[in-house]
Amino acid sequence: MALGKTARSVIGRTLHYAGLLLFAIFTAFPFIWALSVGLSQDPSNIWIFPRAFWPTDPSISWFIRVFHEMPFMTYLGNSALMSFWAVVGVTVVSVLAGYPLARLKFAGRNFIFVAIIATMMLPSEVALVPNFITMKHLGLLNTWTGAILPNIAGAFGIFLMRQAFEAVPQDLIDAARVDGATELQIMWRIMVPVCAPSIAALAIFTLVNEWNDYLWPSIVLNSKDKLPLAVGVFNDLTGPFATSTSLVMAAIVMTIIPVLIFFAFTQRYFVSGLDGAVK
Amino acid sequence: MKTSNSYTAIAYMFLAPALILMGVLTFWPVGYNTYLAFQDYSIADGSATWNNFANFKYIAHEDLFWSALKNSLLYLLIVPVIQLAALVVAKMVNNKLPGMTLFRALFYIPVITSISIAGVVWANVYKYDGVLTWLLQSLGILHDQVNWLGEPSIALYMLMIFTFWKGIGYYMVLYLAGLQAIPAEVEEAAILDGANAFQRFWKITVPMVKPTILLCTLLSTIAAIKVYLEVIVLTKGQADTYTALYYVYDQAFRNYNFGRAAAAGVVVTFFCVLLAIVQFRMFGEEKK
Repeated sequence: MALGKTARSVIGRTLHYAGLLLFAIFTAFPFIWALSVGLSQDPSNIWIFPRAFWPTDPSISWFIRVFHEMPFMTYLGNSALMSFWAVVGVTVVSVLAGYPLARLKFAGRNFIFVAIIATMMLPSEVALVPNFITMKHLGLLNTWTGAILPNIAGAFGIFLMRQAFEAVPQDLIDAARVDGATELQIMWRIMVPVCAPSIAALAIFTLVNEWNDYLWPSIVLNSKDKLPLAVGVFNDLTGPFATSTSLVMAAIVMTIIPVLIFFAFTQRYFVSGLDGAVK
Repeated sequence: MKTSNSYTAIAYMFLAPALILMGVLTFWPVGYNTYLAFQDYSIADGSATWNNFANFKYIAHEDLFWSALKNSLLYLLIVPVIQLAALVVAKMVNNKLPGMTLFRALFYIPVITSISIAGVVWANVYKYDGVLTWLLQSLGILHDQVNWLGEPSIALYMLMIFTFWKGIGYYMVLYLAGLQAIPAEVEEAAILDGANAFQRFWKITVPMVKPTILLCTLLSTIAAIKVYLEVIVLTKGQADTYTALYYVYDQAFRNYNFGRAAAAGVVVTFFCVLLAIVQFRMFGEEKK
């Protein structure tokens, strides 16, 4: 052997990290550039690469201007409220529906499960027009309820909860039944605590999805003071008032940061909680 | 012990919220959309009249719709690329080496960014004097400046790169979950037997995560056939990037022709179901 075992493993590891680093640059470069542009008081270098990846005359003045040029705090509050109610709605509905599909025998179980899963194969966008008409009839156009409702009963959440509940040992349930627990108590006292990681993953997944939802809210909501970040900032930034790239990039960085912080704290639960979905 | 009948009542009580919501907002729309496809729908008074396949006849003779359909099918090219890359990346971060959590998070950032916001940044990446032009120029591959989203021959592929960037982290996480279910002993035994990294990848990793591969392929196939948000935020359908669902969206919320949008929606649904069936067939055969 020309190369010793240690030498080869060092080379292998170096290549491994080099590959990861290269890919990290690919996923992160748009944000690094946006951050650098936002932080550059002097915008003269933002189209000169690679100089643009380092702020010129650093200051946070563009970030401050974002608050003056658009109702950023209103959008932020709207996103937070909509995401909160979507998380509550999805979690409650999915836990309730997942339990009987996983653990109770009843007529029509397989049919209902297949019907729910089948909706994952259909383009939900086909529902845009009918749901718009339904919301119009229900008087829910331009309301948050109308913007959130279609996201609440998603097949993914029900599927994830069913998979999680199925993995719980039957002994636990039998013991509780012998002790005279009702199904609601079994679900609430046994299933929910045991499956907390999966529920946490679903909540995180839902929050991120709702926070980023763009199309449906942009169709249902039409008054500016009700828009969430993903819609409001996009409209403001691509409209006729978007004159400065610096301002645009500052606003984008500010939009991404809340969800990034949230995800940094929760990603542990997220990855481990999704296990059930692929098995 | 309770009888099975009482479980049926309880089960349906638990399922009621989900079934009512899905009934109204998922199942009903599929039916109503199919009905609308055969109607002239008037936005003003909400009246619909049967028009004898006129919507389908119209779109069948419209070049715009055919090129939209062609672009949507062309978009399937992204599926094998993104799946292989996501599996390789998942494999690379699935170990106990230092820094892996950070890399996973970095790869996931595009996924947790709203497509509208990411689109604004990428529109600048794709500008004629943007990052991409600079990169290719400094590598000596390109000499002129290119308006990446304005050239009909390449714009669709630029959208695919954006989709790749946006989506790879999502599939990486799913593959990661699948990889973590493989017992470490299997790979250790292969190393002892002298299998190299490529052999281990093709002979052990790929067969053992096959269920995940099929799930992810199905998800990304359907995502590719449904692609249109990329179009909305990056090109607005210019430069030959019109896709089938963008046509649906455009007809509905710009032309306000709900019937024609519905008919196009039915065609897209047909392709989705067809591709799902093909993949389930492949899945079924793999199992034997």
